[in-house]
Amino acid sequence: MSMPPTPAMTDAPRYRCPWCGHAGDAGSTSCPRCGAPVDVRMATSDSGWAKLPPIKDMARIQFGQSFCQIEGNYVPVADFKLDGGDGVYFTHHLLLWKDEQVQISTLPLAKGWKRLFAGLPLIMTQAHGPGRIAFSKDAPGELIALPLDAGQSVDVREHVFMIATSQVAYDWFQTGIWFTTHEDKSTETHYPIGMFMDRFTAGPAPGLLLLHGNGNVFVRNLQPGQTIAIKPTSLLFKDPTVSMNLHLEYPGGTYGAFQSWGRWGNRYVWLHLRGPGRVAIQSHFEHLEDPGHAIRNTEPRTTTRQW
Amino acid sequence: MEPLQRIACDWCGGQSPAGATSCVTCGAPLNVKNLVSDSGWREAPRLRDMSEVKFGSSVCQVEGEIVPVAEITLGGNDAIFFEHHVLLWKDDSVRMDVMPLQGGIKRALAGMPFVVSIASGQGRVAFSRDASGELVVLPLHPGMEMDVREHAFLLCSHSINYSYTRIKGLRNILFGGQGMFMDRFVAQNAPGLLLLHGYGNVFERRLGAGESVILEPGGFLYKDASVTMNIETQKLTTGFFGGVGMNLARMTGPGRLGIQSMYHHHHTD
Repeated sequence: MSMPPTPAMTDAPRYRCPWCGHAGDAGSTSCPRCGAPVDVRMATSDSGWAKLPPIKDMARIQFGQSFCQIEGNYVPVADFKLDGGDGVYFTHHLLLWKDEQVQISTLPLAKGWKRLFAGLPLIMTQAHGPGRIAFSKDAPGELIALPLDAGQSVDVREHVFMIATSQVAYDWFQTGIWFTTHEDKSTETHYPIGMFMDRFTAGPAPGLLLLHGNGNVFVRNLQPGQTIAIKPTSLLFKDPTVSMNLHLEYPGGTYGAFQSWGRWGNRYVWLHLRGPGRVAIQSHFEHLEDPGHAIRNTEPRTTTRQW
Repeated sequence: MEPLQRIACDWCGGQSPAGATSCVTCGAPLNVKNLVSDSGWREAPRLRDMSEVKFGSSVCQVEGEIVPVAEITLGGNDAIFFEHHVLLWKDDSVRMDVMPLQGGIKRALAGMPFVVSIASGQGRVAFSRDASGELVVLPLHPGMEMDVREHAFLLCSHSINYSYTRIKGLRNILFGGQGMFMDRFVAQNAPGLLLLHGYGNVFERRLGAGESVILEPGGFLYKDASVTMNIETQKLTTGFFGGVGMNLARMTGPGRLGIQSMYHHHHTD
C-alpha cells in the first residue's frame, strides 16, 4: 500500500529563479545561487529585453563552502568570505580591502605580449582563503552574478569581468570584428568591441562569475537564426552559440549636394548578433570613436545596408 | 510626571524625540534596519530625500539621492566653510569670505585647496559634488578628531577647527593616494557638523585596538585620528620586467574607518 505524501513534502513552497533557473526555497528573499531577488517579477520590455533584477543590498550568494555578500546599490561591493579550500581570481585594480590572512598572488596567463599590446590586463590576481576579501568597480552600475554549470561557457567583452571562482577556467580569443580606414596614405585598424574577448568555462564543478555593467543591464534570449544589431560598446556578455559580425549602415537622404553615405563618414557601425543564446547589454556605454574616414577593408563576414 | 521618551541614533548616538523618523543630529533614518555586512562593515545611513539636520541655529536639508544636494539655512551667527567649487547656489543675503589658512604655500604645492570659503549671515546656500555618491553626516563632539581624504569634505560648521595633518613616511606619501596631507577636523569646545561626500557607496567599520584591515588607498574616505595608516607593497610577479608592486594601506585601530566603493585606483608601480 502506498502512503500518501506528507503535507510537508507537497506543501513546501518551491521557487525557480527566473534569472539562473535554480530551484530553491520560496521562503528566502534572494536566490542563493545568483542573488536575484525572489519577491520581484522579472520586468521584460515589449521588445523582449529582460531587466536584470538588481541584487538586494546584503544578499548572499553561495559557492562551494564560501559566500559572497553584495553590499550597496550605487557602486555595489562584492564581499567574499572564502573557505580554506576556495579561491577567486580578479583584475587587481578592483580590490577594495582584504583581511590580513588572505593570500594574493598572480595567476599565470599565456600570450602575455599579445595581451600587453591589446590593452588587456597583463596580470590576473588570485586570492585564497580562509578569510575575507572585497571588490568594487569605479563606476555606478550593477553587479551581474552568472552561475556557470559544469562545462558551461560564456563570452565576456573586455574590461567587464570582475571576479571568477577558481572552478572557472579563463581563456580569450580574437573577436574578428574590425575595419580599416585610410587617410593621407596611412591605414588604421579599428576594433569596435576590442581585439580580444574573454571566455570563461566552468570545469567539472559549477562556478560563479561576477561582471559589472555600467548603468542598467538588460538580457534577452535570441532564438536560432534570430538577429539583432546593437551598439558594439554596449555588449556585456553572450553565450558562445551567439555569432557576431560587423554591420555597417548608411542612412538615406542627401546632405546639400552630396549623398550622405559618401566618404563623409555618415554611417552607423553595429555589432550584428545571431542566435541561439543569451545576449546582455549595458545602458551606459562608451562612445565608439569613428574617425569618419573612408572604410578600406572590413572583416569578411561584414554586412552592409544603404538606405 | 511622564518620563521623557527619546530615541538614540545608532549612527551618531544623538537623541531624537519619540516619534521622530530621522535623527535630528545626523539625518539617519530611525525606523530603518541597520545594514551591516557579515564582515562588519556598516552602510552609511541612506538619508531620506528632504530630511533635515539641525546644528546651532541652522538647518541642513538633504535633497536628491543620486548626487545629493546639501541645502543650508543659516541662522543666528552661524557660518560654514567649504571648498568653493562645491557651491551650487545661494541667496543674495549670504555673505562670502575666505578663511585664512596656515601653511598656504605647502597646501598649494600639495594640491590641497589653497582657498577655503566661508558663508555666513541669514539666508540659504546649497552645495553638491560632481559625481554620484552619498552624503555622510558626521556630528563632531568636543574632543573628537577626524582625518578626511583631501577634497572629500563638502562643508563644515564654523565651530570646528580645520587644519591639516602631514602624512608621515615617504612610502605613505608616494603610494598612499593622499599626497602629503590629509584634512583634520577637531571639535574643541563646541560641537559641530561635518559633511563629506563619498563616491559610490560609503561603509564604516569600527576597528578594535590593534585590529587591522588592508585597504586599497583610493577607497579611504575618513578615519578617527587614532587609526593609523601604513602603506605596504605586495609584490606580484608577471614574468615581465620583474613584476609589479601593489600598494595597499594597512589601517590599524582603535577607531572608526570610512571607505567609499567607487574609488580612484592608484596604479601599481
